[in-house]
Amino acid sequence: MTAIQTLHILNKSPDHPRAAQCLELMSADDGLLLIGGGVLLLATGTLPTATRVFALSPDVDARGLGNLSSNNVSAVDFAGMVTLSLQAQRVISW
Amino acid sequence: MAETASESFTLVITGAPYSSQAPQTALGFAQAAVNAGHRIDRVFLYGDGVHLASALCAPPSDETHWPEEWSRFLVDHSIPGVACIASALRRGLVNETEQKRYELPAANVRVPFEIAGLGEWVEGQIKSTRTLYFHAGD
Amino acid sequence: MIDQPPYGAWTGREALDMAFSLAAFDQPASLLFSGAGVNWLRQGQEAGAIGQKSVEKNLSAAPIFGIEAILADRAACKTFGLDESSLIEGVTLVDVDAALLTDYHHTAFAG
Repeated sequence: MTAIQTLHILNKSPDHPRAAQCLELMSADDGLLLIGGGVLLLATGTLPTATRVFALSPDVDARGLGNLSSNNVSAVDFAGMVTLSLQAQRVISW
Repeated sequence: MAETASESFTLVITGAPYSSQAPQTALGFAQAAVNAGHRIDRVFLYGDGVHLASALCAPPSDETHWPEEWSRFLVDHSIPGVACIASALRRGLVNETEQKRYELPAANVRVPFEIAGLGEWVEGQIKSTRTLYFHAGD
Repeated sequence: MIDQPPYGAWTGREALDMAFSLAAFDQPASLLFSGAGVNWLRQGQEAGAIGQKSVEKNLSAAPIFGIEAILADRAACKTFGLDESSLIEGVTLVDVDAALLTDYHHTAFAG
């Protein structure tokens, strides 16, 4: 697995303008971590394909989306979120 | 599991308890970071996030008491919790020093939180390996 | 980054305070206005009638306090009818893309 350049942590629902901006500003070597209302992106079926996508499992489960996780999305717990934030060269909290 | 070098974090919480998920997500992250052997240099409350430092929150008994949970975590791990003074004073969050200075009828900052300027955030950002922000979702 | 419109929300002001603090501690900082946030940069704001202070003066003092640049998203300015003649002085229009963000060590919102 190649290093993640920027980890974008998105907690905004897909209809929030900041969610759109976050998705627009991602590069192929970045990572997207969906947390909070951001995990609702999983329900829209419009996940970015060029970047690695992660979702915080307690937030996924809370919103009843546990069975929607596809192969393109890696579920992570808080320990995984800590690891990701250190692996990436930098982090942007949207 | 391969042991990684110990790193450090500054966490900035800008979302208030009971109007956002920010304090809960930040606490989950902080606990995991400490469990992994990393250090939390500082937790900085900014904007609406300062409400987390209120000693006067009284949520229903069947709901999580986020200010209490956070206070306990900070005390247990000797982590400084700092509320931005400008954000706090505007929103009615004062310690005894500020109560006297502004001649206010009460102080309501919860132990172990302190009130200080944005310089604390700047310093944390310089010192820590990573600075993460926990915003409201709306 | 400031993406919230002025006066109706406080995060824009609190983002300014963050930028001024960075500058005060000799940390290079720029402000990037995007989305509805570009409306902070419109000339002729008179906020007295809504009991608020206009930020126009604060922003024009930004270079004196050591803020490196005030950047505005070109596309957002177009959306909100802002051009060189209606923007306050000292604003640099930029195309906000992934490359722009990689020029900075940290990117943060105030809320």
